[in-house]
Amino acid sequence: MEHADADPKVLDQPWRIWATAAIASVAAAGLLLGMIVLPVVQGRNAGISAFDAICRALGIQAGSPAMPQPPSAAQAIPVTQVAWSAELIRDLEQADRRNGEAIASQTCFACHGERGFAPDNRNPNLAGQSALAIYKQLHDYRSDSRFNDQMTPIAKALDDRQLIDVTAYYAYLTTGAIDPTTAQVGDEEIVRLVERGDQSRNLPACSSCHGRRAGGPTETPSLVGQNEGYLIAQLQLYRSGERKNDIYHRMRSVARQLTDREIARLARYYSTTLRQ
Amino acid sequence: MTHARRLTLAHMWLAFAAFGVAVVLGVWQMWARSPIPAPLHTPDNYFLAVTAHGVSMAYVLPTFVVMGFGYFVAETALRRPLPFPAWGWAGFWLGVAGSVLAAATIFAGRASVLYTFYPPLTATPFFYIGLVLVVVGSWVWCALMIIAMAQWKGENPGKPVPLAMFATVANAVMWLWTTVGVAAELLFQVIPAAFGWVDTLDVGLSRTLFSWTLHAIVYFWLIPSYIAFYTMAPQAAGGRLYSDTMGRLTFILFLIYSLPVGMHHLFMDPEQSTGFKFLQMTLTALVAAPTLLTVFTITASMEVAGRMRGGTGLFGWIKALPWDRPMVLTTGLAFFMLWFGGGGGLINMSYGMNAMVHNTSWVTAHFHLIFGGTVVIMYFAIAYAIWPTLTGRAFASNRPLRLQLWLWFVGMMVMTLPWHYLGLQGQWRRVSEFNYADPNIAGWGPWVVVSLLGGLVLLVSGLMFLWNLFGLHRAPLAARLPDIRYALAVHPPVRVPAALNGFRMWNVVVAALMLLAYGFPIAQFFLNSPPEAIVHRTVAGN
Repeated sequence: MEHADADPKVLDQPWRIWATAAIASVAAAGLLLGMIVLPVVQGRNAGISAFDAICRALGIQAGSPAMPQPPSAAQAIPVTQVAWSAELIRDLEQADRRNGEAIASQTCFACHGERGFAPDNRNPNLAGQSALAIYKQLHDYRSDSRFNDQMTPIAKALDDRQLIDVTAYYAYLTTGAIDPTTAQVGDEEIVRLVERGDQSRNLPACSSCHGRRAGGPTETPSLVGQNEGYLIAQLQLYRSGERKNDIYHRMRSVARQLTDREIARLARYYSTTLRQ
Repeated sequence: MTHARRLTLAHMWLAFAAFGVAVVLGVWQMWARSPIPAPLHTPDNYFLAVTAHGVSMAYVLPTFVVMGFGYFVAETALRRPLPFPAWGWAGFWLGVAGSVLAAATIFAGRASVLYTFYPPLTATPFFYIGLVLVVVGSWVWCALMIIAMAQWKGENPGKPVPLAMFATVANAVMWLWTTVGVAAELLFQVIPAAFGWVDTLDVGLSRTLFSWTLHAIVYFWLIPSYIAFYTMAPQAAGGRLYSDTMGRLTFILFLIYSLPVGMHHLFMDPEQSTGFKFLQMTLTALVAAPTLLTVFTITASMEVAGRMRGGTGLFGWIKALPWDRPMVLTTGLAFFMLWFGGGGGLINMSYGMNAMVHNTSWVTAHFHLIFGGTVVIMYFAIAYAIWPTLTGRAFASNRPLRLQLWLWFVGMMVMTLPWHYLGLQGQWRRVSEFNYADPNIAGWGPWVVVSLLGGLVLLVSGLMFLWNLFGLHRAPLAARLPDIRYALAVHPPVRVPAALNGFRMWNVVVAALMLLAYGFPIAQFFLNSPPEAIVHRTVAGN
């Protein structure tokens, strides 16, 4: 460092050479161990050839060389046949709403109303639901993932294109504001259940999926303004296990923890609240 | 008094204002996760608060401290005015605009995706745009630091760049490399998704790009602390820096080994192969080298100071050090926390051991100890050291400063050590509450309460820090303006090799290592495009 008179180039050269050599050798050691030695040794235990093990370590063949995959005869039985894809979502966005309206006027208006408000409290309002929420349920009826005496035959009578168009029609309808004079403020206990859940019963907050800013599944329906009778019936069906088109038992495990009184009060809360 | 005084003060105050808000939120989050019922506690509020806390503490606080301190160093270490100060102000206002935009979206509840984004979750696009503005502002700073050093070298051919400035430019160069990953993720993936221009995005690619940034950003936050270790602590202790070359090597090692190592954040991710994870783990191990060099060099420097002050014997020099001076005290406390934090870090970076602590509170505790502990306590010390120069006023007494620093240290240890333990017990992170009625979880309660107590001590200390700085502005002007002096080396360098006086060669090395470590792992997403995830918008109407 104190070679004030030294030629800078002479001073610099060994630094360049040795630094490069040191860095390159450490990187080479890492490559050798990670890409060759360990995969080959571990691959042998898993019954994988050296070549395959190296390809896997490099990431040009799928799998990890460390463990053989256990064989399994298990057959997956999905609770729903709906698989979201970009194409399906695009189809829902670009559907023929007028065709949907025409079909709906023949098959849906009687129970769900022309503007998506069901005249009978036991039927669901469809206004304000997302296309994904409506399509998921219609498709589930068609594939027998969900069953209802009226809905199952109706959904089965429609082809996928018609299903999408009907969905688009109802998804287009907005809820409109609830009349503030009829709105009720939920009691503290129910608001707490909605916003916080109850950890002592492993109950997540309803709003963690059904809230406006929720990070829950994309097809989660909105509950605000939904009909009281419908909500009570669905929670009871989930609780008894009769309805089972909820992925990972999400709603069944929630409903099982709820008392009749809570179900009634939650349904009232959602059917009358102004909150989102 | 520096010409860039106002520029430095503006940056620092913005940073510390964000810190003030975030420290309050942090304590509330600890409380929310404890068995003691917390006010306003809903999952919505919790994740909103975590997002605000993370963005403030990880983006706003360190970025503006680094920038402000950099402007200060550029003037005081090079002893020449900052070039293009108007550009510095432009960068600052861009950063302010970005921070305000991000804060507004967070507190409006439209950006609760936490500060590391987690695509395919998307928030309102304006949240990300705000953060991009902060980054663009910091790029202006990088350019100014590089220009300042280049101009100085032009005026002083053959002379070694002062270590404080060399390290600052190392950080600027590293930051330019670092931000490429997150900028690519935000500009090409997340922002188009948030605007609704695309329906799907490749989560593997976005996680890989974020990992590019994720580790180096930590060293970006850390380097001001190391600058203080090397150039301020030995001076404050009344001694000299043991070795200038060690300092240069340390900052070069940070530059080259903080970047090609980010995949150690992805050990449990499926999209990368074991070979590349192992390679990056090997390179990560080398990041320990500059820290060990620093521990050695600074301890040796302190020993020089201690012996110059009459300390004798094996440990007598430690007692002889002027522990009443904030910078000396803080260096000791920071080293103590670095010992635990660094040890935890070695566990995190080990491929096998990482599996045990992955997604547990251990990780959160680790980065609070190393960043909130070692790094932030040094930010305090830096502020205490430069505020008199910036304001032309002197602290009447060091006592409230020492008390604040001790409280921060005690609070951080009390908060993070039980937190680490809880991680080992399997306590998971990124959740808003725990079910203490569950017998498996009930036992965590007392430890979380201890952590919360540590958090309360941190809150008191954080507010005291702001009060101490604020108080100095109202103190009478000092008769003689205090000037900052950086530590001289025991053997001050006369000539240094070009490799230790600039970054040309090291940029080539970084490029080569990044190509090796990230070339194929990123290229694979384009060569063999995997299925993409559907964008999940957390904000209705977007």
